[in-house]
Amino acid sequence: MSTGDEHPIPKVALVGHPNVGKTTLFNQLTGERRKVGNYAGVTVEKISATIYTPHGHQMELVDLPGTYSLTPSSPDERVTRDVLLGDLDGEESPQLVISVVDASSLERHLPLTLQLIELGLPVIVALNQVDRAEAKGLRLNPQVLTDELGVPVVACQATSGKGIVQLKQALRFPLPPASERRWKGNAAVEHAIADLTKQLESQGLERPEAHALQLLGESDYRTQAQPHLSRVAQAAALDVAADLIKQNHNPEEEISALRSQTIRRAISAAAHEMGDEGETFSDKIDRVALHPIGGWTLFAAIMFAIFWSIFRFAEVPMGWVEAGVGFIKDKVGGMLPEGDLNSLLTDGIIEGVGAVVIFLPQILLLFFLIGLLEGSGYMARATFLMDRVMARVGLSGKSFLPLLSGYACAIPGVMATRSISSNKQRLLTILVLPWQSCTARLPVYAILIPLLIPSILGQTTMMFFIYFLGTGTALLVAWLLSKRIGIGEAAPHFLLELPPYRLPDFGYVFRHVIDRGLAFLKKAGSLILGIVIILWALGTYPKAPEGESQFDHSAMGCIGNFLEPVVKPLGWDARLGTATLASFAAREVFVSQVAVSFAIEEDEDDEEAFRDQIRSAIKTSEKPDGSPAYPPLVVLSVLIFYIYALQCLPTTAVVQRETKSWKWALAQLAGMSIFAYLAAFIVYQGGTFLGF
Amino acid sequence: MAFTTELERDSALNLSQAAVGCEFQVKQLDGPGCKQLREIGFCEEMRVRKVSNGRNLVCAMCGTRLALSRELAEQVLVTAV
Repeated sequence: MSTGDEHPIPKVALVGHPNVGKTTLFNQLTGERRKVGNYAGVTVEKISATIYTPHGHQMELVDLPGTYSLTPSSPDERVTRDVLLGDLDGEESPQLVISVVDASSLERHLPLTLQLIELGLPVIVALNQVDRAEAKGLRLNPQVLTDELGVPVVACQATSGKGIVQLKQALRFPLPPASERRWKGNAAVEHAIADLTKQLESQGLERPEAHALQLLGESDYRTQAQPHLSRVAQAAALDVAADLIKQNHNPEEEISALRSQTIRRAISAAAHEMGDEGETFSDKIDRVALHPIGGWTLFAAIMFAIFWSIFRFAEVPMGWVEAGVGFIKDKVGGMLPEGDLNSLLTDGIIEGVGAVVIFLPQILLLFFLIGLLEGSGYMARATFLMDRVMARVGLSGKSFLPLLSGYACAIPGVMATRSISSNKQRLLTILVLPWQSCTARLPVYAILIPLLIPSILGQTTMMFFIYFLGTGTALLVAWLLSKRIGIGEAAPHFLLELPPYRLPDFGYVFRHVIDRGLAFLKKAGSLILGIVIILWALGTYPKAPEGESQFDHSAMGCIGNFLEPVVKPLGWDARLGTATLASFAAREVFVSQVAVSFAIEEDEDDEEAFRDQIRSAIKTSEKPDGSPAYPPLVVLSVLIFYIYALQCLPTTAVVQRETKSWKWALAQLAGMSIFAYLAAFIVYQGGTFLGF
Repeated sequence: MAFTTELERDSALNLSQAAVGCEFQVKQLDGPGCKQLREIGFCEEMRVRKVSNGRNLVCAMCGTRLALSRELAEQVLVTAV
């Protein structure tokens, strides 16, 4: 008996359109709950798992990013094509492909299946959503489709687990053989394909016919530099294509037409055509949700509800985190004798990290609500509505989701830009995204705003204004930059699938939220912990003699004095200068840094009392001449700086990774810092001039 | 060519001009957005129903709702069925 040990573990790839239910199928096959979303392009990371066939053979199942064709129009789609062609570094091409298609929409899905068959890889077709197709009155015959396509076709309904066993049985070992290409072109086209295949083969390229079809069927692939395709191969393709064009043949159009004909033939044999099902439940909702007035009203109501619930409902769990941090600090402080170690652990680490972890509930809640929007299908409608606004400033409707995520944290926002097809629009979205007021800025606002406005209503209005200012600036700068970057005529046209409304998959949403929460805690436990320790050390040493201010004596104080001339035009002193400098690693550090510089001890039980103490320290501080050190104008100048500055090392690291360019990441950091400095400068100097 | 008669060609209109609520058959794709349209499923002979108008319009095809910009819709030539 053969066992898996005699062979390397075969790799099986799931390929299909976005929203086809690929990820649900992945979860059904692996038994592992993973992502499943409605929003086009949610699967952007590599997801794989080990599975066993019914006969016990081990296989690696990879969920490739959703794509409409092997002609990529966004970075995640390019991953799919490159993995399948074996052109991605460190990624072996799969030995078997499961082509997931929507049974109710075969005309749209089978072109990709044909392209997969043409790769020369063994293909199994998973005919998903058969229940939906049947509900629409569509009768399908998988056996006829098997004959037409020359590959096994398994009917299934991933959401209910129907057909999963049959699909697993189709993954038997040894793997099914690859099918022949399903169409034959005219003599000239066939000659061109054969000629190019032979040339590529002699150049030692793997899968020569697959590459030849890709090169002839897609002009960009042969004209634009491809990291894994030699110039020689592209030159050969250009020659062959030029020959065809000389004979009045258009390789792209002809190959595309041949595929369409093949598909129409297969469908007319295997499925009973049906008329359109008329107005669906989703259409009824869409009549309101996409209405020029009703749609915007609903959108505004949903956004308002999201922000209201973030501030309202997160209060309770935030209280728990607060109490927990206080309890731990109390316990640890009580166990150790007074001294530097005690101070490091309690005032430094527990307090510093605690000040950040307190925002975990808000972050989780925002991601949960975004998950619900995605899972229910509404996010695509929001994208549709927002396209109108976004297009005005050079962005696309698809920039909306990343910008919305930016209110929670810029990092997932930057990562979510991967579904934007235009590179320029993607870059533009990344560049302005950190102006979305993220939750890390909240602790700073919580300290500063009450200093400016005493009434609760005024504070809420101010908070709204801050969000508005951040987003407004982001859009304005996007508009200015879009002209420089050259987005205009070149912007791709808006084209988006609106998935039917459905009940969100709560398992997925919760898993997603937990992943985000863990990522945040990891950041708090690594980067922020490191910064907090360094800040504690800089603020504690060298020790001040009895009765003198520790801050003035410490290394931090020296740095502050050094910084003072730079921040003086903003109305700031050494304390604010150091607190802001420290915040460049992560904004949340501001609060603990100000507390340390005023030598304020955190009250274990009452965070609000702690904040009040900081506020009263800021309020009552005086300059040597007796005038207040931090009049409202200075507080406003600090606030403006925090609204605009990019003070988050992890964001810069992620921008570098996503743009693959230190140039853009550092330009963004420098640009936003200068912008923030100038804005704070104008506010302070302008205010002083006007006599405030 | 997707048009069989001159009359058919003359009566063709683009998806942007087409009336909301009516059903059409795609006859030809013409313009720079062709590739993008074909990928998402707009092919000759497919049936589409226009659901709504606007700067981005919505149409139904094979039970799926697709939103597309007016510029793209202008590149889809359809005839009434």
